[in-house]
Amino acid sequence: MNWRRLRTLMLREVRATFRSVFTVTVLIAVPIAALMVFGFVLSTEITGLTLGLLDGSQTPASRELIAELTAKGTFKPYHYATREELERGLVGGEISAAIIIPPAFGRGARGPGNAESPQLQVLYDGGEAVLAGNAEGFLRSMVGLNGATIITQAIKPSMPVSTPGVHVVTRALFNPKLAGAPFMVSGTFGFVLSFLTVLLTAVSIVNERLTGTFEQLQVTPATGVEILLGKILPLGAIFTFDVILMVLLAGFVLHVWPQGSALFFVVVSAFYVLVSLAMGVIISASSATAAEAVQKSVMLSIPLVQLSGFAFPTRNMPMAVQWFSEIFPATHYIRLARAIYIRAEGPSDLMFELFLLGIFGALLVRAALRSIEARA
Amino acid sequence: MNALRQFWSNVFAVAYKEAVMVRHDQALLATLTAQPIIMLLLFGAAISNKPANVPWLVLDRSQTTLSRQLVEEIEHTGYFLAPRYVESYDQGQALMKKGEGLAFLVIPSEFRREAERSVPQVQLLLDGSDPLSASRVGAYITQVAGALDVKGTAARLLPNEPVDVRHRFWFNPTLADRTFFLAGLAGMLLTNLCLSATSLGIVGERENGTYEQMLSLPTTPIQLLLGKLVPYVGLSYFLLALSTLLSGVVFGYWPRGSFITLIIITLPFVLASLSIGVLVSTLASTSAQAVFITVFFILPSFVLSGSMFPYQLMPDGVRQVGGLLPLRWYQIALRRVGERGAGLSEVLGPMAILTLLFAVFIGLAASRMKPRLE
Repeated sequence: MNWRRLRTLMLREVRATFRSVFTVTVLIAVPIAALMVFGFVLSTEITGLTLGLLDGSQTPASRELIAELTAKGTFKPYHYATREELERGLVGGEISAAIIIPPAFGRGARGPGNAESPQLQVLYDGGEAVLAGNAEGFLRSMVGLNGATIITQAIKPSMPVSTPGVHVVTRALFNPKLAGAPFMVSGTFGFVLSFLTVLLTAVSIVNERLTGTFEQLQVTPATGVEILLGKILPLGAIFTFDVILMVLLAGFVLHVWPQGSALFFVVVSAFYVLVSLAMGVIISASSATAAEAVQKSVMLSIPLVQLSGFAFPTRNMPMAVQWFSEIFPATHYIRLARAIYIRAEGPSDLMFELFLLGIFGALLVRAALRSIEARA
Repeated sequence: MNALRQFWSNVFAVAYKEAVMVRHDQALLATLTAQPIIMLLLFGAAISNKPANVPWLVLDRSQTTLSRQLVEEIEHTGYFLAPRYVESYDQGQALMKKGEGLAFLVIPSEFRREAERSVPQVQLLLDGSDPLSASRVGAYITQVAGALDVKGTAARLLPNEPVDVRHRFWFNPTLADRTFFLAGLAGMLLTNLCLSATSLGIVGERENGTYEQMLSLPTTPIQLLLGKLVPYVGLSYFLLALSTLLSGVVFGYWPRGSFITLIIITLPFVLASLSIGVLVSTLASTSAQAVFITVFFILPSFVLSGSMFPYQLMPDGVRQVGGLLPLRWYQIALRRVGERGAGLSEVLGPMAILTLLFAVFIGLAASRMKPRLE
């Protein structure tokens, strides 16, 4: 390995990259767009959810319950007069959930010896599974809490206040408000670095092959290692710059800063970029045209994005799929990114994952080197 | 009259040529069959927002039958793995920090005594790094604990909850994520097909020089455009049929509404998506760039449209941006027809918007698709 030759190759790569307007645009625009899109989409909070109401009882108690439910702006109430109309609203997607207050509510419990609780019916649009799940949790606690006070005050003051079994005091660590942004931001690093790196290297090498400059390189005294490093080191540096850009953007715009050491995060990310770039080199070796290389990277990246835990926790998947997802370096990188970004873990906590990522790196760089030398 | 016949004759001539090319495109046909299968397996069997296999930690300082009963009942909900008992609070916190537990339940030593006097308290720590799972796991545990019979069976005779709330999930009684994903699957597949096939097809022709040959024919740009789109409309319906059939046979998810409604609402969506593909092709100069732009249009549109996450929860601004995507309206219509069995009259709104989007995009594409002989 000759340092001067390598430096020349690296300089060449940097110049070639910055000369292409399209590449530079992509390098800046894609990370920004990805952060903006993904940073906002996941939410555990519910605001402005459309809620259908059918008050069959029209008593002070039922009106108070409705007022309580709609007071916080969580729900946008839609009043219906009949059950048919309400059901049509649910089918037509006008409302996501509905509360039906039967005529007996607030009246039936008054009679002596009637110990039955007043009944409410809540319907959810299960078609929107995530939304319904969130709304259920919210309504359960709302009705449970307010219902108790309303009923005991307005309807049956004489009745013994029933108590919950065990009171649970909940506290969320690392992310007290359970905001979606930290989860998505740390995953977005995995998405951008896996996808963009593979795509850009694959296209750049295939294009060089097509124009013949790659063969020119191979007849120079440069060795395979030098050609490979000359390709992935400068691109790695450029992507490391992208990582820093994203950290700053996520911090200033989305208010998500790494809880752990930012330096450690950038170092881990830079290493992962090299792993990904090596994968791009391998893909380029087996593609005849640039479009084919892009399509191959896309085909590879779609399951990678879905299965790596970027948006959907791998834990929820069936065991066989979980094992399968472990073979993607992205799965391990995203795990590391979350650990550093949200839980502030340091190198000593993450030895095992770092070790695995290292092995992936060694194997892929070796394979990439072979693919370059094989064509010589 | 003659001019009109001439117009359509030209359109169908181009369509025929395009169909022949598609038939010979092995790579495209392979992708067309492989993609529905991969996506179906991913969304049907792999991905889920519903917590499962949740690792959790328990610090039981009480060590009584009651505390063990609480742990047991939580475990029996089926969302959790076997609990891991820790010796101290610090150990639990350290494990949480390593991500080895999603929830950490702390049962105080006076738990049993408190239960005899009033309402006993337990502490629950959740790992907020996975907020969606954390909030649901928190709700499960709170509910199980709230329903725990702490004072023996005698107290049970009294109503436990002040208001008896009956929760019912329509259209999807088990609240399975699978139904949510499968209902939107056709939209994602069609987006992929329509965008990549047209953008690549047109840029490819420009690269090979065959586009210029076509411009020298007596066809106008709009005829060329329509002719190129016709075969893909056919392919889209093939894909719709394939994905409906596969999700029905493999996962038992059949659309509740009528197939005819599905077929009708698909047309404006396919046309709108194809026009976007044409628009992309006018922005790219090489096919690699075309695929690139397409990919970075497709992925956000999956996310922002509501096919993967509910769009109702997105903040203002982001939600409106998603409204510009045809996929947003198509997935709304798909869910109404597929999951809720809505008829044509209930999807007229989304259909009108899709038609409008089609008009806008095809107008933009046609205005950019000038005869270019540089």
